Amino acid sequence: MDWPGWALFGLLATSVLTVVMIAAQMAGLTRLDLPLVLGTLVTADPDKARVAGFFLHLAAGQGFALGYAATFALLGWSAWWLGALLGLLHVAVALTIILPLLPGIHPRMASHRAGPANRAGLEPPGLLALNYGIQTPTVAAGAHLVYGTVLGLLLQAG
Amino acid sequence: MNGDDPRTAAPVPVGEYGLPDDTRTAAPVPIGDYGLLGDTRTALLVSGDGAVDWFCVPAFDGEPVFGRLLGGPPAGTFRVGPVLPARRLGRRYLRHCATLETVWEAGQGRLVLTEAMVAEVSGQLLPATVLIRRLSAEDAPVPAVIEFDPRLGEHHRRPRIRRGPGLVCEWGRLALSLGSDPELNLEPGRPAVITVVPGRPVTLVLSVADAEPLVHVNPASAWDLVDADEARWRAWVGGIDERLPFREPMVRSLLTLRLLTYSPSGAPVAAPTTSLPEDPGGIRNWDYRYAWPRDASIGVGAFLAVGKTAEARGFLAWLLHASRLERPRLPALLSLTGRHAPGERELHGWPGYASSTPVRVGNAAAGQHQLDGYGWVLDAAWVLVEAGHRLYSETWRAMRGFADLVARRWQEPDAGIWEIRDDAAHHVHSKLMGWLALDRALRIGESHRLGDRQRQRWQVAREAIAAEVRARGFDPAKGSYTRSYGSADLDAALLILPLLGLEDEDSPRMRGTVDAIRRELSAGGPLLYRYPPGCDGLPGTEGAFLPCSFWPVQALARTGRRPEAVKLFEALLERATPLGLYGEEMDPVTHAHLGNFPQALTHAALVQAALALRDTAGRRQ
Repeated sequence: MDWPGWALFGLLATSVLTVVMIAAQMAGLTRLDLPLVLGTLVTADPDKARVAGFFLHLAAGQGFALGYAATFALLGWSAWWLGALLGLLHVAVALTIILPLLPGIHPRMASHRAGPANRAGLEPPGLLALNYGIQTPTVAAGAHLVYGTVLGLLLQAG
Repeated sequence: MNGDDPRTAAPVPVGEYGLPDDTRTAAPVPIGDYGLLGDTRTALLVSGDGAVDWFCVPAFDGEPVFGRLLGGPPAGTFRVGPVLPARRLGRRYLRHCATLETVWEAGQGRLVLTEAMVAEVSGQLLPATVLIRRLSAEDAPVPAVIEFDPRLGEHHRRPRIRRGPGLVCEWGRLALSLGSDPELNLEPGRPAVITVVPGRPVTLVLSVADAEPLVHVNPASAWDLVDADEARWRAWVGGIDERLPFREPMVRSLLTLRLLTYSPSGAPVAAPTTSLPEDPGGIRNWDYRYAWPRDASIGVGAFLAVGKTAEARGFLAWLLHASRLERPRLPALLSLTGRHAPGERELHGWPGYASSTPVRVGNAAAGQHQLDGYGWVLDAAWVLVEAGHRLYSETWRAMRGFADLVARRWQEPDAGIWEIRDDAAHHVHSKLMGWLALDRALRIGESHRLGDRQRQRWQVAREAIAAEVRARGFDPAKGSYTRSYGSADLDAALLILPLLGLEDEDSPRMRGTVDAIRRELSAGGPLLYRYPPGCDGLPGTEGAFLPCSFWPVQALARTGRRPEAVKLFEALLERATPLGLYGEEMDPVTHAHLGNFPQALTHAALVQAALALRDTAGRRQ
């Protein structure tokens, strides 16, 4: 497996993914703010949360990159389009499994069952994170396609 | 089950009991006769004869499963009450909670319906939406009708029926289950008569599942859930400042505001209904099941002032989150999850309340430019800062963006607070709220980081607004500020003038405006119209506007006329429904509540008025 490539390009791909998501957020396409969502796992202050969340996101991206590297190693080849396909699978898992499950473990995220005692500040993402804007699935899919493409281009199979 | 237990006897169809299939009269139930039950995710309206005539699932803005209020009998209802006619002896919310109790005299006995939705379901295997209704008899056995007729949505779709632990009604992703203790063999759309025996209450449990498995609640122990919820509500009320004047009506208003707050996102819902008419038989029927930033901002001040800091901060957090996509523009209204409110459309074939058509869903005001919204929001942020809270830097960044937008766009005409669907105008109230936005931003900037150039820009714009409003928004002949530049009409929204700090509290302009509005917009007694009736380009007329009727209480209290303010406030409290609820408007002659019901803005105005009386107590008049 391409360990040096994983170490370097995992960080690069996650950074690019983060840039795409932040750009989309600034352009008013989505309210999904991954550093904030992840960072509020450890602090309620949104500014500090974004810093912590950025590093948590880098770590998570590095973890997912391991899956990409292992897949390429297993197949014995890699290509940008294979990376992009894995990116699609990755975003499907993120939007349909990981984000909808998050209210169950996130101390500062409400669920759709929240009641008057709820003190969680973050709104639940809902299916496909549509609560964060109707274009959120498209933005997330685009960002993960880029992430997968970068890894498919740069990671070696062996 | 014990076969001798009279409760287990099969319900008798009302036809066999000698009653017509629909035991209710054709006349519409007065809007003010409805009570509100809610769980902070959705809510329902239940009439004085025990009929749930409006219930949207899974959230406030969902589709109705019981829509008789607007759709007539084909839209479904869930009635649990006496065999008519029966005399209603009383109706009340149980003290400091959201449980409703209705008592009827029926023959030799009395029938009591106690009902509630379960608000706190987190951490328990419970349905997200559950309604529990308990019938009990006193003195003698009493016959009671149960009519369960759910119909979903615009086309009154009948459910697919199956029997599980209870009666299960399904429409694809949505399912209801109705369980009972003792077990009753009920059928949708077929009203039945049961006999309730003293000491042996009948409990009905309605559970809702949307895109998830149904969770069946054991009806025999369901009332424990209501008991636990009541304890939680009472603890919540216990956290409200004990020294408030008029505490009981304030508590009911605060509870109503909390019930109308969508807990999953923190969005304040303007009202749980759509299309209850401002003019019965007319076209002024709008959908209020959405969230207005203005209401959230007022909620910040109201909840903070009574000691509910978490709720106050929650409203501001919702504002920040929900406005994120369009910042620095502030949408006039948003969906409960912070999306664009759906486009407005009409429900064809719906007869409407008292033949008031069209019945609308969605709201076209979403695209309007309303300058006043920025003033409300920045004032809410200032209220928090003034109370010693520091804004997160992200919050302050957003507020600076709002203030910059006001400094840039205040010279443009806007739709105004009343969302009139006419050409935009230079509304004086909007300009004043623009002034307020900049003034409060500058005040916050004294304790938060603010660049010199930005500060100067805001100061220049604030002074320019003040100069222009004083020159073009004041009618010297009337001695009052006016509705818009060059207009002779008045606007009750200008009653916020004493709260701003733009004019001295005892200035002739201030007193003149308050007096002119109370004189010219009076609808009789303590009631005020929001603007001269009929001056909005729509056919028909409308009732007195209740939030505006409360605003003079604040204006009078803060301009040295507290005794008048107290008298006015007491008169307005007498206009509440017997359950302490208020709609949006009121017929000045019959005092019938009009418009969507109950209305969060009216209850927030009541709280603000009472707070103004508290804050001015002891001041020299």
